[in-house]
Amino acid sequence: MTRLPLILAAQARFPAPEFESYTLPQMTLEELASDTVLWRVLILAVFLAAGALCFYKWRSRKAMLAYSLAGLAVFGFVFASCPCPVGMFQNIAQGVADGSYIPPGVLLLFALPLAASLFLGRIFCGGACPLGAIQELLHWKSIFVPRPLDRILRMIPVLLLMIFTVCAIFGIGFPLCYLEPYLPVFLLDFATPFAILSAVFLLVGLFVSRPFCRYVCPYGVLLRFFSLFSLLNPRITTQECVNCRLCEQGCPNGAVLPPENAGTAAQHRTGSRRISLLAACIPFALFAGGLLGYFGAPVLSSFHRDVRLQNELDAGIRSEAVEAFESSETTAAELRSRVVKLQNGILLASTAAGVIFGALVMAELIAEARRRKEEDVYSIDASLCFCCGRCYAACPLERKEKHHEK
Amino acid sequence: MTRRELIRTGLLALIAAPFASLFRKREETGTGYFWQIDPDKCVQCGKCETECILAQSAVKCVHQYASCGYCLFCSGYYQDKRIEFNTAGENMRCPTDAIIRTYVEDPYFEYKIDEEKCIGCGKCVKGCLAFGNGSLFLQVRRDLCRNCNECRIAKVCPADAFVRVPADRPYIYRKPPEVKS
Repeated sequence: MTRLPLILAAQARFPAPEFESYTLPQMTLEELASDTVLWRVLILAVFLAAGALCFYKWRSRKAMLAYSLAGLAVFGFVFASCPCPVGMFQNIAQGVADGSYIPPGVLLLFALPLAASLFLGRIFCGGACPLGAIQELLHWKSIFVPRPLDRILRMIPVLLLMIFTVCAIFGIGFPLCYLEPYLPVFLLDFATPFAILSAVFLLVGLFVSRPFCRYVCPYGVLLRFFSLFSLLNPRITTQECVNCRLCEQGCPNGAVLPPENAGTAAQHRTGSRRISLLAACIPFALFAGGLLGYFGAPVLSSFHRDVRLQNELDAGIRSEAVEAFESSETTAAELRSRVVKLQNGILLASTAAGVIFGALVMAELIAEARRRKEEDVYSIDASLCFCCGRCYAACPLERKEKHHEK
Repeated sequence: MTRRELIRTGLLALIAAPFASLFRKREETGTGYFWQIDPDKCVQCGKCETECILAQSAVKCVHQYASCGYCLFCSGYYQDKRIEFNTAGENMRCPTDAIIRTYVEDPYFEYKIDEEKCIGCGKCVKGCLAFGNGSLFLQVRRDLCRNCNECRIAKVCPADAFVRVPADRPYIYRKPPEVKS
């Protein structure tokens, strides 16, 4: 039995009576519609400009803290964080993949921070992102993550970007938004099971700076890549660096690079040997990535609604979804063919994503192993800098200059 | 133009590329950005009440008066296992007493949803659909909904009844019965 005729039949059951002195009340639902997405885009643009002013012009840690606070208040609590630019890549991926309409608000939310990162670095992460802001403000004592471990953990967001994009393209869902750890905080509702996740992230965040930004956020991968080509780059001090190392110790995100010397001939030899070894490993990395994707695909597709429904049908489980399916107009054959098509698509995409992930890991390793430009001052790796302004506060030259200005 | 500038221009173009989709012709049934329940797909499982991230769900029951039969006996109002036709708790369908019944003229009664009390459990919707005209149905209230990018209810909805709708048509109504001229 299909559902639609049932309703049509139901409507004929009791015809509306003809009243003498009674008018039908109007439905006033339309008056309750509200769309704040474009407002959010506008406010975000203002925020990014203000952040650039605080970070590049006033060069002040205090101003950046105020910027974070404002960002947390406005985007975190007023707009309740969702939808935020961080998850928008999923909407874009889905829209591009299935050809559905992507509203301009969504496009702008996605594009604005990326465009800003091409000119201003990761100013969005600094405080206009509510997730970044809450981590920035709820950080107490820094435990420095050792550099090699940091490099390994930093590949997690890349992997997540790959997985989540595949999920979005095939309609499995938006896992990033589902598992967003700070949402219970923004909604001030701790009665959900997701509150455990927020507690873990907030607790880790007290000691490790920005655990979500550095080791989870997939949008951060895009911002990181784009900010490599940023027009403006943060400089620790406008004066001549005295190599006191205080900025390096002050940066909990590992974004301050120590001076690079010319290196001895022996170091050059080991360096170039390491790079050729890495280059030789590329095919293996691609293959391993592909394998990972190939064997991960069934796990991914099992999260899809249709695949799950098909599995329940096959196993003979009488779930609500099965009952709803049986009263719908879709036939079993249609569902079956859709599921097979889905599974094949996910297998292909997941394998491709695995190969790309392998390539990106190798690119990161080679970039890490290659020789940096010789420099005798401490500098900032713009792609890792979250624009928090701690190095400005740590630099004695900067402090002296600020003091003189007063 | 330096290499950096060239790359920057290229990346800007890459960001701008998805905007091309704005020039595409939007279909009549084009998807939008707001979550809504398709009343024809809804099976009243009761998950709307419990799964929403808000403490009180943004889903509420809506009454489409135009298709209501104004019955004396309303199967959305009274419980199946009622003892008597009166407003004692054990006779009522609604667990929060959110349906207000007012006398119109013999033998018709108007049924109105008290939105403060409605929790979006869908029990009355199920009752109305089982015996009546189906004039009660669940909708996501745009003034309450936070419009999460990944709606928690949509994720668990067994009937896949959650759809995205455009901002200018944020509600999905049930087709009202044909008016006899």
